[in-house]
Amino acid sequence: MITNFNRSLSARLLTLMGCACVLFLFVACDETLPKSGPEKPGAFFLAATGESSQYILTTDRPETGSLSIADNFRQLELSGYTWIFNSNPSVAVGLIYQQGDPGVGLGYTVNEDGSLYESGQFLITSRFTSYGFFDRYALTSVGGVTPVDGQGNALTDAAGHPRTDGVTFNFFDLKNNFASQNKTIPTLNLTGNGEQATFSGIVDLGNGEFLTGLVVSQPRDPNAGGGASSGVITYPDSVWVAAFDAGLNLKRIYRDDRISYSSGRFRSQYYSQIAQAGDGSVYVFSGSYESATTRPAGALRINRGAAAFDASYYFNIQEKTGGYKFRKVWHITGNYFLLELYNDLVPTATGAATQYGVVDVAAQTFRWVTGIPAKDRITATGLPASYGGKMYFPITAEAADPAIYLIDPATATASKGLTVTGAAAINAIGRLTQD
Amino acid sequence: MSILKKILFLHLFLCRMILPAPAQSTGQDSQESKETPLDEVVIVAKSPLQRVRESSFNVVAVDARALRNTSLDLSHALDRISGVKIRETGGVGSPSQLSLNGFSGRHVKIFMDGMPMEGFGSSFRLSNIPVHVAERIEVYKGVVPVELGSDALGGAINIVTVPSRRTFLDASYAFGSFNTHKSNLSFGHTLRNGLFLRLNLYRNFSDNNYRVKTRLLDLETNAYSPDDRWFRRFHDNYHNEAAIVRLGVVRKPWADRLQAELTVSHEKQDIQHANLMKIVYGGRERKARSIVPALFYEKRNLFVEQLNLRLSANYSFSRNNNTDTLARQYNWLGQYRHKGFKGEGQYTMGEYDNRQASVSAGLNYRPGPRHLFSFNNLYARFNRKATDAAANSETSTAATFMRRTNAKNVAGVSYRFEPSKRWNVSAFAKRYDVTVRGPVNVSATSTAVYEEQYRRFGTNGYGAGATVLPGAGWQLKASFEQAYRLPSENELFGDEALETGDARLKPENSRNVNLNISCERVFRKVHSVYFDAGLVYRHTRDYIRRRIEQRYGGAFYTNHGQVRNRGVDLEARYFYRERFSVGGNLTYQDIRNRERYSADGRELIYFRDRMPNVPYLFGNAEANYRFDNCFGKDDALSFGYNLRYVHSFFRDWESEGGDIVIPRQLSHDLSLLYSFRNGRYHIAVEALNIADEILYDNYSLQKPGRSFSVKFRYSFYR
Repeated sequence: MITNFNRSLSARLLTLMGCACVLFLFVACDETLPKSGPEKPGAFFLAATGESSQYILTTDRPETGSLSIADNFRQLELSGYTWIFNSNPSVAVGLIYQQGDPGVGLGYTVNEDGSLYESGQFLITSRFTSYGFFDRYALTSVGGVTPVDGQGNALTDAAGHPRTDGVTFNFFDLKNNFASQNKTIPTLNLTGNGEQATFSGIVDLGNGEFLTGLVVSQPRDPNAGGGASSGVITYPDSVWVAAFDAGLNLKRIYRDDRISYSSGRFRSQYYSQIAQAGDGSVYVFSGSYESATTRPAGALRINRGAAAFDASYYFNIQEKTGGYKFRKVWHITGNYFLLELYNDLVPTATGAATQYGVVDVAAQTFRWVTGIPAKDRITATGLPASYGGKMYFPITAEAADPAIYLIDPATATASKGLTVTGAAAINAIGRLTQD
Repeated sequence: MSILKKILFLHLFLCRMILPAPAQSTGQDSQESKETPLDEVVIVAKSPLQRVRESSFNVVAVDARALRNTSLDLSHALDRISGVKIRETGGVGSPSQLSLNGFSGRHVKIFMDGMPMEGFGSSFRLSNIPVHVAERIEVYKGVVPVELGSDALGGAINIVTVPSRRTFLDASYAFGSFNTHKSNLSFGHTLRNGLFLRLNLYRNFSDNNYRVKTRLLDLETNAYSPDDRWFRRFHDNYHNEAAIVRLGVVRKPWADRLQAELTVSHEKQDIQHANLMKIVYGGRERKARSIVPALFYEKRNLFVEQLNLRLSANYSFSRNNNTDTLARQYNWLGQYRHKGFKGEGQYTMGEYDNRQASVSAGLNYRPGPRHLFSFNNLYARFNRKATDAAANSETSTAATFMRRTNAKNVAGVSYRFEPSKRWNVSAFAKRYDVTVRGPVNVSATSTAVYEEQYRRFGTNGYGAGATVLPGAGWQLKASFEQAYRLPSENELFGDEALETGDARLKPENSRNVNLNISCERVFRKVHSVYFDAGLVYRHTRDYIRRRIEQRYGGAFYTNHGQVRNRGVDLEARYFYRERFSVGGNLTYQDIRNRERYSADGRELIYFRDRMPNVPYLFGNAEANYRFDNCFGKDDALSFGYNLRYVHSFFRDWESEGGDIVIPRQLSHDLSLLYSFRNGRYHIAVEALNIADEILYDNYSLQKPGRSFSVKFRYSFYR
């Protein structure tokens, strides 16, 4: 989803790119590169954090060797960016919202000679707890917002208190200097049961619509505090997914009772557990975070173009993991997905999660990833990138410099690739290509 | 008296022996400063100096009275002291940070008349209290006397407000660039029967509408301009009002001094931008107010000769409001567009209350001329409460609204042995205890369950000092302290949500050593030279750090890291009669990371690097020239020049290869002062930053450019 690189490339396009690009490819890469298939020329973009500042690094070969943080491409003014990567157009988008203050978003692209440049700075005026790409936009959303009328006055509930069921979306136009628009929609009774919703994950259906997972709850008690925008979960054994168009008009709602809601929650964040497989069908996972749910962690499927969950498909993942639930889901390639699993059988509020496994959603198999540091040694992980059929996964283990681990989904085995010396963590890796 | 009008930076080598508390050291009844004439050159408070210079503390004191014709606040007065750096984020009233030999924040404790100022709130702080309020500012570098009871790891600052005169009236009004107005009224009178009243009122007001260079947000597209442009600040008004009333008696058989005091203050500030200047606001604001009643009691020769008792108590209540309600997005042109939700940053009408009660008791006993015993105990209890759920909905939890208290007790004893006037030694020991009470998340599942718990923590510190006066104006001093900072409630408890506190934490600790050599000489009765060189050594360990590791989930606190500072503070001054003075100070501090490995064992690329975002080379220089009887009898005209220099420094560790630096600052100020009618009337004109340099103390946050002000003052002291 997030790192949804377009790997299909026609020979015709390759021809169009001309000799210079081909030459670049030969210069930049050598024969030891993995069978990466017909990739566009480009560069890998890494975001790494030092003691407190964040830096951007670039490399052509994340499969091996080492790179020092001191050889960074740029130091960033703010640290704590969440980086996401889009394939068409190819762009790295840095999202940030500071506690109580807006953040300055960043866009990075590669130009004709394959070098990186900052293609835009834009203001991010609202928090975000979920993010992704849709059509020509980077999209963020956050719930728990007080919706206002045209005059800027807060909408109130029956008791006269400001409502908090608004969800604010920010659209950043990738083809127009990240020009942004935001829109806040009320979610009260969106699911027809009087509850409100927070959105988690964005899957572009490619037809002008996107899907997002819903965490359906009672309105949040304004006096309860708490970082998350959700209130008490009345229906912990149900899952909802909504389809919206570009105008944020609700097109459809998918509902099922076989799994709990589709979202990985950590503090105020709602991590996406919804992603598209190679064949275009959408898999809706549920890590079964809610303590009250009776449903095991698992997955359902929405077939391409379908208006309801596939009743014939149910994948009980938790019984294959030995009872462990999961928090994050990333698509690798084809039917393979990488899961981040909680370290404890009952996830606690602190939410330690440093175990990883690969599922094949078609064969309904699960394998623990081997060849990475032990779960009690992992201090940080970053956003992985799928490239050449493998998952490039940033992991920091104790007493070691952070490194990229290459996970082969077929065997769930990993090998250590590029090390970034002097960094405390690699926050994200993505590949940028020339458009 | 006339020398008081000159700007003099004095080194009062305060003797804790004779002057038990900093607060009372210039008590009006007994320590009227008797100036010792050195022909034309007079050093203020020289007389106490003759008895007190044996103290071994590395202390610098500024005679604030000499600064009353300037428009300085206390923090700007401190900024001119060697080893001290004030970093501001903007104009009048903007948040500022003080650092002392590289220590800042909670490592440096601020006192007023010996009582901690922690609970006084932002409406009554160093950067908005005018110098008029103070008599003297004392800066203790690294080694802190037991009378200032606190876990001050890096030193302490004490603002002494007790006036030295029986009757005075001091009124002033200044106005200047950026619609800045500052007014002050001080009044004091002591009756023959010992009853006294003192009053201090002041107000600061500024639009702070100076020009800044930054990027413009296009409201249509929400994208930033690629280049910087100049804009005028449009939402940065600040005003602040305060009143201090003191009523009491002196020279009674049952009390040498008994005083009741009330300090009331208020401030309101528009917030113009976030931590990057390009993130601009048009409606955010904050307010703070505080009320601080206090009592002082002092009795000398209690029961027996030379047994002196001092008691102080205060209670502070402060309330802070943050308001961010506009559904608007502003840009630097002051234009805005509507947004679909409330809050330019984060919707809030939050309100926070802090309450603090402090009680301090000091006893000292001098059984003979060679021995002095002192005991001091300070108990402070701090209580904070958030009163509005919308205050910080992102980070708050149910626990945010539960009570939490932090009680701290610091007891100290010291002994001084003074076999002769030529040398003395002293030693002290301190006992620190803290008890915190608050909510702790005890849940084993994803749903938080809070329980009120309390935890205790304690440790011991100690130190020693010696000084030698070989004669001919020379003095050598050495002092040492093993200093501590106790963990705060957050560090012991976590943030009650997903952080875990750790009762096994050690206090942050530092070995502080000072060596000073100074000399004061008068030549041919008209030339006076003063010189001081201080060597500073600090080795600080066991920093309490917040860590986040994915294997453990939420954040937690551990002790990690060590930093060493080897620095030098230099100061030199020359005076010619009362007419001319020139001088300056320079501070170099080599503050470096001495921790080779990260907390989880990774080799650090920045081992031995200079500490980032800390100025390490800075100084001030100044010159004054004065003409007496210029236009008439009993008037004086003086010209002043001041230079401020801060060498550029990296914001982050240099070895990480970043290129963000805080650039070099070099600014020049000029002043012109005309005093007439025997020093009763004053007109002062100031031009600050005359070269209109673009100045930054912090990354991205630009300070004011060139500014002018004129000040009218009437002063009467008897």
